Order: sequence, then C-alpha cells, then structure tokens
Amino acid sequence: MSPLFQGMLTILIGVGGCVGYFLLSNLFIDKILFRPVALDEASVLKRRKIGLAAVVILLVVLATGVVFMLGDILPQSFVNILITPVASIVVLGQWLGGAWGVVLVALLMAALMIFSPWAWLPKRAVTLGENINRANIIRPWLFLFPALSALSLYLLYPVVGSFYRSLFNRSGDDFIGFGNYSTMFADTGFQTALLNNFLWVLVVPAGATFLGLLVAQLTDRLVWGNIAKSIIFMPMAISFVGASLIWKFVYANNPDIGLINAIRDSFGAAPLDPLQLPFWNNFFLMFILVWIQTGFAMVILSAALRGIPEETIEAAIIDGANPFQIFFKIKVPQIMGTIVVVWTTITILVLKVFDIVYTMTGGNFGTEILPSYMMSYMFRDDGRATAVAFVIMIIVLPVMIWNIRQARAEMK
Amino acid sequence: MKLSLYTSAAIIALSSSSAFADGHLAFGSEGGDFSWDSYNAFAEATDLSGQSLTITGAWTGNEKEKVEKVMAYFNAATGADVTYSGSDSFEQDIVVSARSGSAPNLAAFPQPGLAADMASQGLLTPLADGTADWVANNFAAGQSWVDLGTYADKDGADQMYGFFYRVDVKSLVWYAPEAFDEGGYDIPETMEELKALTDQIVEDGGTPWCIGLGSGAATGWPATDWVEDMMLRTTSPEDYDAWVANEMKFDDPKVIAAIEEFGAFARNDAYVDGGAAAVASTDFRDSPAGLFAIPPKCYMHRQASFIPAFFPEGTEMGEDVDFFYFPAYADKDLGKPVLGAGALFAITNPSDAANAFIEFMKLPIAHELWMTQGGFLTAHAGVNLATYADDSSRAQGEILQNATTFRFDASDLMPGEIGAGAFWTGMVDYVTGADAADVAKGIQDRWDAIQ
Amino acid sequence: MDNIAGTKPALSWAVNISVVLLVVLWLIPTVGLLVSSFRDRDQISATGWWLSPFPVSQNYQAKAPADDAEINGGVNVITGNVFEDGKGKVARFGGKRAAPTEFKAGETAQLTKDRTLTVHSDGSYVYTSPAEITRDPSIYYAASSPPEFSLDNYRTIMASDNMDRAFINTLTVTIPATIIPILIAAFAAYALAWMDFKGRGFLIALVVGLLVVPLQLALVPLLTLHNKVGIGQSFLGIWMAHTGFGLPLAIYLLRNYMVGLPRDIIESAKVDGATDFQVFTKIVLPLSFPALASFAIFQFLWTWNDLLVAKVFLPSNSESWVMTVKIADDLLGSKGGDWGILAAAAFISIAVPLIVFFTMQRYLVRGLLAGSVK
Repeated sequence: MSPLFQGMLTILIGVGGCVGYFLLSNLFIDKILFRPVALDEASVLKRRKIGLAAVVILLVVLATGVVFMLGDILPQSFVNILITPVASIVVLGQWLGGAWGVVLVALLMAALMIFSPWAWLPKRAVTLGENINRANIIRPWLFLFPALSALSLYLLYPVVGSFYRSLFNRSGDDFIGFGNYSTMFADTGFQTALLNNFLWVLVVPAGATFLGLLVAQLTDRLVWGNIAKSIIFMPMAISFVGASLIWKFVYANNPDIGLINAIRDSFGAAPLDPLQLPFWNNFFLMFILVWIQTGFAMVILSAALRGIPEETIEAAIIDGANPFQIFFKIKVPQIMGTIVVVWTTITILVLKVFDIVYTMTGGNFGTEILPSYMMSYMFRDDGRATAVAFVIMIIVLPVMIWNIRQARAEMK
Repeated sequence: MKLSLYTSAAIIALSSSSAFADGHLAFGSEGGDFSWDSYNAFAEATDLSGQSLTITGAWTGNEKEKVEKVMAYFNAATGADVTYSGSDSFEQDIVVSARSGSAPNLAAFPQPGLAADMASQGLLTPLADGTADWVANNFAAGQSWVDLGTYADKDGADQMYGFFYRVDVKSLVWYAPEAFDEGGYDIPETMEELKALTDQIVEDGGTPWCIGLGSGAATGWPATDWVEDMMLRTTSPEDYDAWVANEMKFDDPKVIAAIEEFGAFARNDAYVDGGAAAVASTDFRDSPAGLFAIPPKCYMHRQASFIPAFFPEGTEMGEDVDFFYFPAYADKDLGKPVLGAGALFAITNPSDAANAFIEFMKLPIAHELWMTQGGFLTAHAGVNLATYADDSSRAQGEILQNATTFRFDASDLMPGEIGAGAFWTGMVDYVTGADAADVAKGIQDRWDAIQ
Repeated sequence: MDNIAGTKPALSWAVNISVVLLVVLWLIPTVGLLVSSFRDRDQISATGWWLSPFPVSQNYQAKAPADDAEINGGVNVITGNVFEDGKGKVARFGGKRAAPTEFKAGETAQLTKDRTLTVHSDGSYVYTSPAEITRDPSIYYAASSPPEFSLDNYRTIMASDNMDRAFINTLTVTIPATIIPILIAAFAAYALAWMDFKGRGFLIALVVGLLVVPLQLALVPLLTLHNKVGIGQSFLGIWMAHTGFGLPLAIYLLRNYMVGLPRDIIESAKVDGATDFQVFTKIVLPLSFPALASFAIFQFLWTWNDLLVAKVFLPSNSESWVMTVKIADDLLGSKGGDWGILAAAAFISIAVPLIVFFTMQRYLVRGLLAGSVK
C-alpha cells in the first residue's frame, strides 16, 4: 500500500471518524441517553440497573486487563498505571485475538462507557428539566474526550512518567530520590547550560519582540510595507536544519565562504570563528532564532497596532504629541497585552529549540543549552536526561503560571 | 508482545518492497579472483526464500552503495530479501529502536563500545555457538578479534556478540608526493624525524598539517584518534589497555602527556592550516582538501584509511596522494604500534536470516566483494589479497600485518558516554584552549559518575 | 492619516531607509544560500558568493607529457598547451606547487637544474631540460574562469536515489498530521470557551501548562507504547504523535479565538433553542475560520520542518525518509564538504513551506491576530 494512499485513507478515516463521533455522540445523548422527556420511576430504575451493570462490567474488564498486564508491562514502572485503560484494552484484546481483538475490546468498552452515566440516576422519577441538565453536564466531556485522551497519552503520561523516572539512577533500578538533581547541579557542564539557557530565554524573546515591534511600526503605512513584512516573515517557513545551513554561509571561518570573515578580511583582520568566541558565540546562535522569530512577533504586533482606535491617536496629535511620544506613550501601552503574549509564546519556543545549537556547534565552545545537554544524556542516562527536562519545566513555570492566571482572568 | 512482533514483521514486509529482489550482481557470478567455491556451497545449503532481513548501519552514500552490492550476493545465494538503511546518527537511532522493540535484524556497529553497552542491557542476541572459535582460527590475530566482539550480557556472563567485518587502519599520514618532492622532504621514519620535518616545512614558509575535528554532533572524534596514537607512542600497550578499562585514570600524567603531545601539533598556530582556531571548526571531511590546493595549504594529514572517500573527485592514489605510517619514537622502544578500528555486525533482532547472514560473513567472498570496490580492509585470513582494489589497500593491509602492536581505537571501546561523548567534547575544549589536566579530569569525573 | 511616516519628509526617508536596511539584513543569509546553490563546488570554495558575478581566478595544475619530449639543440623540449580545448587565458604561472603564480605569462622561468619553462597567455608552453625528462613535469598556472551558474546541483539532488520518495513521504506525513488535530482541537476549544462545567478552569490551565512540555521527554515512552500496541515505527504512529504534540497549541489558539466571538450571537442562538452542537457547527466553526487556517499553516510548517519526531517515529530506512532526515542524515553525511549540493538540498526542502506561506499568509495573520490580541 503506497504511503500516499494510506495517507488519503487516514485523512478520510480520521476526519470521518471525528465528525461521526461528535455527530453520533451528541445525537445519542439527546435522543437516547437523556431524552428531554420526563421519566417515571420504573423506567428510571431500569436504566439505573443497565448503567450499574455497565459500570461493573467496565471495572471488571479493566481489572482483568491490569491483572494480565502485571507480568508484562507493569514491573517496568508503576507509572504505567496512568495508561491502564489503554494498556488493558490492548493486553486483553491481544489475548483474545490479535489486532481485531483489540478493536473488539475497544468497541465493547466504548459501548459500556456510553451507558454508564445511567448509573448515577436517582431512585425516583426524573423531570424533563433534570434530563436536559444531565445531558448538558455530560456534553462538554463528549467534546473534550478525544482531545483529552490524546493530550494525556501523548503529553501528560510522558511528563509524569519522566518525573518518576528522574528519581531513579541511570539504569532505572535504584530509587535515589533527588540524587540526579544534586549531582547535576554540581556539574559544571550543567551550570554552563543553565546559564546559557537563561540568556536565551532573556535575549531571544526580547530581541524578537523588539525588532518585531520596530518593523511593525516602521512598515505600518509604508507603500511597500507588505513586501517588507513578507520578507521578514519568510524565515518562519524555513526549517532549523535549513536555517543552520543558511547561517553557515555567514559564520564560516573561511573568508571565502563566511560573510563575517570576508568583511573582516577586507579590513585586513585575520579570520576568526564567530562560533568560538567565548560567551559571544551564544549571541550569534541566538540571533539565528531571533532572525526566525521576528516575523512572528512582527505580524501579531502589526495587527495589534492597527487595532488601536484612531481617536486616541488623533487626540494625541491635536495635543501636539510628536511621533515618538505617540508611539511610546499612546500606542505601546495599548498593545501591552499583545506584547506580553508574543513574548511568552517565543519564550516557550526557545525552551524547546535544540536544533540550532545541535547543528551549529554541537554544544561545544561553551554554547550548550539545556535541551542539547539533555540530548547528550538521553538513552545513556535517562535518569539524568529526565531530570534536565524537569529543570526546563521549572524555568518555564513562571511563564506557565502567568499564562494560566491570564487565562483565568479572561474567563471572569 | 506477540502481536507487536507480527505487526512489525508485517510492516517491514510491506515497507521493504524488495530492494534487492531482482538485484543484479555487480561482479557477475563467476570468474575474477573471488573465492566462489565456498560461496556456491553456501548458496546450495541455504534457502531463505520469502524471508526478509533488515540491516542498519552507519554507512551512508558511497559506502552504502558498496555494502549493498555485497548484500545483493547474500540475496542471490539465499533468496532472502535484504534491506539496508544507513544513517548518520546510527548511534542514536539504534538505541531508540532497540529500546522500543522495533530494531532491525542486524546492526553494523562502528563502535564496539556501543555494542557492549547494548549487550549489557540485553538488547543484543549472542552469535551462534562456535563463532568465537571460528574467528579465533580464521582471522589474523584471531583471538584479539574474539575479545573485541565479546561482551558481558545482562547477567554479566561473557558472550560473543560481534562479528568484525571492516577494519580501518588509523595510524596513517596522508601527503601529496609531488609537494614532498618539490620541497625535498623525505618520508619520516621516526617521530623525531616527523617533528623535524614539521619544523622544516614551517621554516620553508609552508603549513605542515591539516587537522579538522568537525563532524556535526560527533565533533571532536578525530582528536581522540590522535591522542590514542600518541598514547601508543609514549606508553606501553599495557598502559593503553589499562587506560581503556579505566584502571589507569583519565587524568593520569601519562594520559595528560599524550594529550599534550597532540596539542603540540594542533595547538600551534604555525603548524595547522587556518591556525589552531580552525581545527575545531573545520569539518573532518573538508580538512584533507588542503593537501590538494595549489599552492598547498598543508603537507600532511593524519587520518584513518577511510579518508580517500572524501578526497576531491579524480584524485589518484599513489599519484596525487599517498600515505605513510604515523611513525613511533625511535628512542622509546615501543616497536611499531598500529591503531585501528572496525565495524562489527551484531544481531539486534534474531531470525534465521540474521544467523545465515553471519554465516555469509564468514565466507571470504563477503569480504572480497567489498575489497574489490576499495576502501575496505579485513582481518579475515582466508581472503584472496589479489582482490584488493589497489596497491595502497594492499600496503595498508601490510601495515596491519606488520604491526608489532595492534590496538583498537580506545574511544570505541570506552563506554559510549565517554568514548562517544565526554572524550569528544573534552578534546574540542582542549583544542580551543582549555588546560589538558582540567580536560582529563572532567572526562574522568564523567566516567566516575557512570560507575 | 497620523503616522510617523508621512508627516515629515525627513522622517519618512529615515523610515524608508531603516526598513530597507532591515530587509536587506534579513534577506542576505538566504540570498547567500540561494546563490551558492547554483554555483560550482570549486567556485564556491574559491570566492565568496557575493563575488559570484565576477570571474573566478583559480590555480590549476597541468602535466607536460614526458613522452612528447624532443631533443632540440641539445636540450630536451616539451611543447604543448595547458588548455585541452585550446581556450582560456593564463595570467600567471609557475613551476612549483608552493609558488604557482611566481611568473607572469610570457616570461621565461628559470627552474632548478637549469630547466626552463615559458607559458604564454594563450596557454602554450615550452619546457626545456638539459637532462632527459623521465617524469611528467608539472606546470602550475592561474587562469580566471567566467562565473558559472547552473542547475547541476539541483540535478544531482533530484537524481540521488529516493529524493522523490522523500518528498512524497513528507507530504504523506504532513497532511494528515495537519488536518486531524485541527478537528479534535476545534471541538475541545469550543467546550473550553463556551460551555460551562466543573473543572473547566483546571483544564484550561492544563492545556496552557502542556504548551511548554519539552517534546524530547515524550519520545522514548511513546515509541515503546506504539510498539506494544502494534503500531511500531510507521506513518500511523507519526500522525498520532504529531496530533498529540500539536494539540495544546491548537486548543489554546482556537479557544482564545472562540472566546473573542461576540457573546450575543451565541447566547441568542441558544435562547432560540439551538443545541451546543448546532451552535458549534453553524455559528462558531465558520466564524473561527481564520484561526483554523492559521493553526493549519503553523502545524503544516512545523511538521514539514520537523526532524526529531520523524527520526524517532518513522523507520530509519531510505523508503520512509522524509526530506529533513534525508538531508540531515544522508546528504550531510555523504556530501559533507559539498556546499553547493547542501545549499540546493536546503532550497528544495524549503520551497514548499515558502509557497504555502506566501499563498496563505493572509489567513495566518488574521488567525494569529485574533488568537492573541484582545
């Protein structure tokens, strides 16, 4: 089967499955599970029985799955309990009969699950209003179910699992508490990486946001502003692998290839490898990411600038404010919220990027940052690697908390 | 687990759309200097039609083409479908796939250190019984190759896991004969002469050496070869073995002295093309180009036997470029030590076809088929030397045979974290100005952390 | 029209000039790569790309065939032309590798052992030696070759095996991995934006928190899980992985956008008896188109340019390589020193994202704008 065809099929099945799921599950709730009618006590009790039975069978299936798994998956780490539902479906299904067994068990579980809400019906007649209420309590979870399961399987499970792993030694046999963290903080390589990472987190978002704001303002009413913006936005579309190659033509030590050394050469200076300049080489690497991210900041900030009500600016002009005053006193405060959003988004990205350092210097010459430091331990000392990942998480914690508070504030 | 085996087999079967199915055999099926008899007997005795075999390794590009030509003969003999995939980041990829249970059948490790790591985690399958005896009897210096392929398994018991296929001689210095003639330079026979020659070239206004340590994520490894060669030339082979096993600490004065011997070349701005700063950033694949520049950017380049693959197109061995043995000190009485390395096959996912492939590797022809394509040396004693592609390969083979001491590349034998990690980055730090003693101590600290 | 630009001519000039400077600064690196991708390997290492429109002066070596030697007036003489096709212009020459440009064309060089060499600017040479000539003597000369631009690098790449396959593989990975997360995220974002239920605040916090999870953390546990389930390293696996990794941003972006939709419309629809499902499909989804499109572009660029996930979740054989892996692992390995080839490969890989980006730019801006501007 050609991968292309497989891809088309996946799109069809994926899209069809998603749409079908949402459509049918909503229909199911409204037409069968909690039909908007009043129910007498007898039928409520009947449904309650079905629901209870479903819950019991569900639990039994899960329990059998867990028992089956004990010998196979669990001893590795108890964190696997987190994926018990998935794992037990798989184990039971395989025991029943291969891939089709898995599908069968999964379908059975789904069928049981959709009736389980009946178990929480009261032992009395329910009114139409109560039924509608119940439907509305469940509905958000229907909408959220696919996303939540994907998120917990692909992000939450590894995070928790990794934290647990970071408490064990390199082979994963011995529990050593925070031993990995204490040895790590004593390592000079880690200290360099941590320091560099702080530099990255401070400089790149600041640089990209500042330049983005500058370009956004400068090109605002320029005739050829859109062309300029497109060009500055373009690096966003370039992969880190491509970007690294591009910048090798700037930073190369050979004055016939690297632009910087060519310029130095024309002034008669000896060639010098910018990526080996202690401390400053970090900034040369950071500039690559600034180069990529400025476009992103520019686009959002330029849109925000245009969203500023004209009246405020006109009022300022009438009051005799000069352009710089208008910009700093009127415009910037009004788009402060957007600036902060851009800033945090880029901060988050900075903490994930390891490709640039990896391809440009391989972490040598004192340019190591935490993600690349982590890569050098990954698969060798997973305990240390996961500990590094947690330090990264801790660095972003303030950003995360700020984001969460912001989101909460908006909800109110 | 069963299900995953089935499905991964099915996926492999689907994806490996018979890379060699109608593979034509690059060197015919008879004639030449090849050892056909044992091959035909093997083909007669083995039938694996319908089976598939996946192999992965670090050979890419040109080397990949060569090894695929060899594998085509395995396919022709057995009917098994062979798929080879090469990756520049083999070291990472194989660990990921083996850990997660999706490893190919065989892996060609460029690093015994990594293979030993994986064996101790139970990710490799021991070779069939009797392989060790066979290698001991049929390889030149057989026992050393058995030792190099034997690692402790998960329970600590020694088992034979690795079958060596392609050997590199590392103690070679490449030069352009014409440039040497013109300068009136002679091939140095001793380290003292080499150092004198180096100074002579500087005096004549030239730059003696091209050194490049760049290699992407593996930047620094060429320096480890230098240090190892210097170890063999300044201390006894026993010290070398103790160093590899970390019985002699990395920050032992002897090791630091060897590092500084290397630094005497690499950290001298007058000795290296582009100055000492260029050493760390020049790609090892680019660095020999200086030999061929007009006027020459350098006169000598110390690198293993594989490097001609990266010479400019049309370079003729013996004419445009040649090599000599990286000499030893005359006054140290350590003989003629040779540093080498080699790739080994190990089974990462057992199957009949995988075992049959190891059997195939015992045939002289499996080695001759690559010997004839160039860039290949073997320790297999039964091969027909006439199949070597050129005189220089034969000459390297001679160096291999004549060595008074043969030692395997230490960084390949050290734990991956050192030999493919701390040692590399430590050497980059050293070349860019760090103190040798500090660098050595840093590497030893990392080693201590493993134990 | 109030603006910094436009009010005063001097300021307007300053603005124009500084924007030009910034644009040039931003373009230069990419132009360097583009120009280099059309150049010949030797020319790249001879002069920088900024000198590419000018002739390149390079040093060459030629051998005078000793077999052609004639005895003329008691000395051995070889005559010939350094240019095989007779075309070219020698600027300087020399008889030593260490000094290849010692003499001007037309001069007669006195070499060691009373040998002489004369090379004329048309390439013809006369080599004389009193002793018999046994080995081919070398002649070194500097000649300038005109700037050469060709598509050779691109041809080499396209001809390299499996490049077309890698291109198709990349598409195969990218498209489903873009479409599926959007759908899943849209529903979840609606629930988080407009439905009231217990734990909503917590879930939003969770999504925001997951935004920052380092991807590297998830690789090994997930690949193990995939193998246990029987997916292994396959396209299905990478689609699912990209879906999982892309979801937090998708939900976050879409929720932010949806929250900003006018409350009146949604509430009046609900008062009219529309269910949440109807509100979502009939009102919210069409209104959110810009946000959907902008996330789609983001996800497309991300999956197209991804190296790490592809390396882990796809089998490492040339049949399933995507473009980034092909370039990073295959081409960088075997063509390490060939800048022209690498540049061409990089350009092939960024062509599609650039096209997508320039055609869809409008939507990207609108979606991002609404997603993060309040």
